[in-house]
Amino acid sequence: MCGIFGIIGDKKTSKLLMHGLKRMEYRGYDSSGICIVNGKEFIRKRAVGELSNLEPLVVDLPDSECGIAHTRWATHGPPTVENAHPHMSPKLDVAVVHNGIIENEVELRKELRSIDENLQFGSETDSEIVAHLLSNEIKNSGINMAKAKEEEFISCWKTVLEKLEGSFALAVVIKGRKDFILFARKFAPLIISHDGEKGLLASDVSCVVGLTENVHYLDEGDWGLINNAGVQIYNVDGEKVEKDPKKLEWKLGDAELGGYPTFMLKEIYEQPRVVRDCLRGRLSRDKIKGVPIPFNPRVLRIVGCGTAYNAGLLARYYIEQLSKIPVILDHAHEFRYGAPSGPKSLVIGISQSGETADTLAAIQAAHERGYPTLGIVNVESSTIARNVDTMIGIRAGPEIGVASTKAFTGQVLGGLLVAMKLGQDSKNFHREDLSYFDRHARKLPTSMERMLNDQNIKTKLWEAQQFFVGKNHAFFLGRNTSYPIALEGALKLKEISYIHAEGYAAGELKHGPLALVEEGTPIVVIASEGSSHKKLLGNAREVASRGAKVIFITHQEDELADSHADLVIKVPRTHDLLQPLLYNIICQLLSLNIAEERGCNVDRPRNLAKSVTVE
Amino acid sequence: MRAIILAGGRGKRLGGLTDSRSKVMLPLAGKPMLEWLLHVLEETEVKEVTIVYYYAGERILTHFGSGRDYNLNIQFVKQHSDRGTVGSLITGLSTINENEDDRVLILNGDNMVDSSSINSLLKIEGNGLIVSEHDTPHLFGVVEFRGTNIKSITEKPDINQIRSRMVSTGVWYLKREVIEKIKLDFEEGQTELSTSISKQIKEGLKIESVRTENWHDVDHPWDLNKLNRFLLEKMERLISDGAEITDCSTINGDVQIGKGTIIHPGCVIQGPVHIAENCEIGPLAVITGSTSISSGCRIGPFTRIRSSLIMRDVQIDSNCSIHHSIIGPATSLKSNVEVDAASVQKIVRNTHYQIRRLGLVTGEACMLEQGVICAPGTMLGSQVLVGRRTKLDGEYETGTRLIRGA
Repeated sequence: MCGIFGIIGDKKTSKLLMHGLKRMEYRGYDSSGICIVNGKEFIRKRAVGELSNLEPLVVDLPDSECGIAHTRWATHGPPTVENAHPHMSPKLDVAVVHNGIIENEVELRKELRSIDENLQFGSETDSEIVAHLLSNEIKNSGINMAKAKEEEFISCWKTVLEKLEGSFALAVVIKGRKDFILFARKFAPLIISHDGEKGLLASDVSCVVGLTENVHYLDEGDWGLINNAGVQIYNVDGEKVEKDPKKLEWKLGDAELGGYPTFMLKEIYEQPRVVRDCLRGRLSRDKIKGVPIPFNPRVLRIVGCGTAYNAGLLARYYIEQLSKIPVILDHAHEFRYGAPSGPKSLVIGISQSGETADTLAAIQAAHERGYPTLGIVNVESSTIARNVDTMIGIRAGPEIGVASTKAFTGQVLGGLLVAMKLGQDSKNFHREDLSYFDRHARKLPTSMERMLNDQNIKTKLWEAQQFFVGKNHAFFLGRNTSYPIALEGALKLKEISYIHAEGYAAGELKHGPLALVEEGTPIVVIASEGSSHKKLLGNAREVASRGAKVIFITHQEDELADSHADLVIKVPRTHDLLQPLLYNIICQLLSLNIAEERGCNVDRPRNLAKSVTVE
Repeated sequence: MRAIILAGGRGKRLGGLTDSRSKVMLPLAGKPMLEWLLHVLEETEVKEVTIVYYYAGERILTHFGSGRDYNLNIQFVKQHSDRGTVGSLITGLSTINENEDDRVLILNGDNMVDSSSINSLLKIEGNGLIVSEHDTPHLFGVVEFRGTNIKSITEKPDINQIRSRMVSTGVWYLKREVIEKIKLDFEEGQTELSTSISKQIKEGLKIESVRTENWHDVDHPWDLNKLNRFLLEKMERLISDGAEITDCSTINGDVQIGKGTIIHPGCVIQGPVHIAENCEIGPLAVITGSTSISSGCRIGPFTRIRSSLIMRDVQIDSNCSIHHSIIGPATSLKSNVEVDAASVQKIVRNTHYQIRRLGLVTGEACMLEQGVICAPGTMLGSQVLVGRRTKLDGEYETGTRLIRGA
């Protein structure tokens, strides 16, 4: 999604703004722009496409101590230079960057036209209106722009904010005033930091890592002003509030490539560490610690989108198997349309960024219905993390690649911890089961490392990749716990290689999609456990006999698969509950290889944004 | 000043230990060997470092990240294929800028040298090489001298024709023009660095030598224990605030314990011992002398461990006795596993090695059931499964299953 970034109090503003934009590139990238306060004028530069298009326009900008910047992912109006942020008022005295949606855009446009019939809008975006409103407000209050005190601008800003409906993170600079930046947040992420000399505001932590060590997280509806001396924050009622800064836990290196060609590859290889970190202190031989479940729920509801939904589906299998508690799984955006599930329901929201607007809305809907909520998130300071009753942080570290990899592993482990905790509480998952699981879980990171470095697997992956050459359709099949992996495998392939891939429960195939299988269609079958495995082998034979090229992903001790597939990829054996995670890594690598072969940008696939902050 | 570290090799002779990591990433005294080497370089005038990786390179990248935690400017380059020392050196040269120094320092990632020798090497006016005395010189490049200058280097000479006990450590300080000539030789098929330089010496090239007493080369598993001991002896006592040490444990000497580690009651730990983060020791475990335990390990009650290297996520149950051993990552030893350590003779590729003391060496993810007894010098590959009360002696390949009835 769009990202905003602002700096005050540093001479190298334009350079730092570009640096920040690069870090945020993954949030949205069809256009970008910056605006700096230079003497009595603004200098604004905007460009469509990659950031490298903006860079040449910015190199020669003069020093300035105040500026704002934006990367845009089009929602209102196509990606053009006119629609790129920052936007300005008609008199060119106010510049604004915005992330989110102004929902009463139409009314506000009408209101502005009623003041001035000949008003020309510079763009088709909703964001521009904010600049118009503030410019009008300043004019109406009759203050002198160059000399007025900060307080006067604050009161104008408050009036404008009261008119806005929808979701937004906003940063505003005023012509000729390099001494402050106005900001506001409502249902869109924004963080603020000030170290006594320079102030920063950004949509994303990764943007400020390395520039500051302490950040203020804002609450919904907070707004205020940042100047050379510090930060003034007001709450939604207009009262001044004090917020203690929090220490940033991520290190600079975590958000950098450090020798890897792509973030996606880096993040795939970080998964052994994610397993170690996520289970640390939570899993032991005899009990599950640090998994806060507020009461004994009778029904669980899981919400998530995209990869988080797939992780939720796997969590559902785990919870139902280990605790016998029924689980209802919803796409977060569909949650509100479903019926209430009665008392004693617990809602679990899964999100990597913790800013996913759909999931956040579902969490809020859950609160309205009176359900307690549990969040499984990666960014522990995020909006969702602060809105849920209890939280499990998956400790995956910053995930930059748009296609989620290591966060999936963390989310699944989070769900598994919940399942085991509920299983223990309901006496369906015994101490012996846990200690047996624990023994295997300790070995999992090493198994992942072995697998990631296995030359034999690398060769097989290359062979598997050949099945996809020149193909535009593929299927991923699974049963039981491997069904979510099939969905996730298909999603990864779609996201980064643009091949149309469908994940199916293998049993469902003959009820329709089998008609699409033709000579040479690549089909990835992911092994499952126990009796379902034999059924799956039957399904593999079904498609093979229609000419499909079958790639079977299974574990080393499975000898049945060899005769059922064109290609078998075998991963180390581990506990049944953990086995799907290893299969998933194979799917990730396969998608990555195919996408790179097709020349796709795996870190920043077209049309997609990392953290989707609009509904 | 730039150093090029050649870290591409796997370390085949370490068996299963290098299945998913290269030799330079094996943890010794709490850190991978390559990290120790970077710490040595931090104490020299070297400012830029190029690390040339190939085998299991992703692990190197993941571990070092952007390399910002070091006082060095670190760059990583991947060798295109396994092309020997010279091949990876040439890959490393690609990172040098035109305006940099005329000379570069070249090191092997699997060697350890002291910083003072490197500093003396960097003071030399022309080209230089660090040399060291060795008990078995015929396994290395034997160096002969004329004054302090090098007269010749003979790679792995016949044991009967050795005229010097001094060998090349592979730490070179070379002018770029010398390297250019090596490059030309390489294009004609010469992949050994010392052979190519020997040829240049015959043509009149002058190379001075610096002698070191502190050189460690890791080739075989038993070298790991030796270097581990050396690194542990330099270490000072440091018990992290985040470690949980319960009452009535005895912790003597230079012991380091990482955060999140729990020492249960009644343990005896006698330094030098390094225990990394998130381990669980005891109750009533005894860990003594020159032992490193990597993170995530679990050591059960009444187990004794001495002079051993225990890698990540190893689980050792109760009543085991482990001496002079190297236990690979994610290996499980169930209760009552007993390892004898004694002086051992090994023959590797027609060369005799006399090892003062060696117990058990395992690769990754092995599983030893209750009551397994290991003879001195037992070596297992990776993922070896050993059933109850089996007696092990000798070497077992990766994937071996020694289970009755299987």
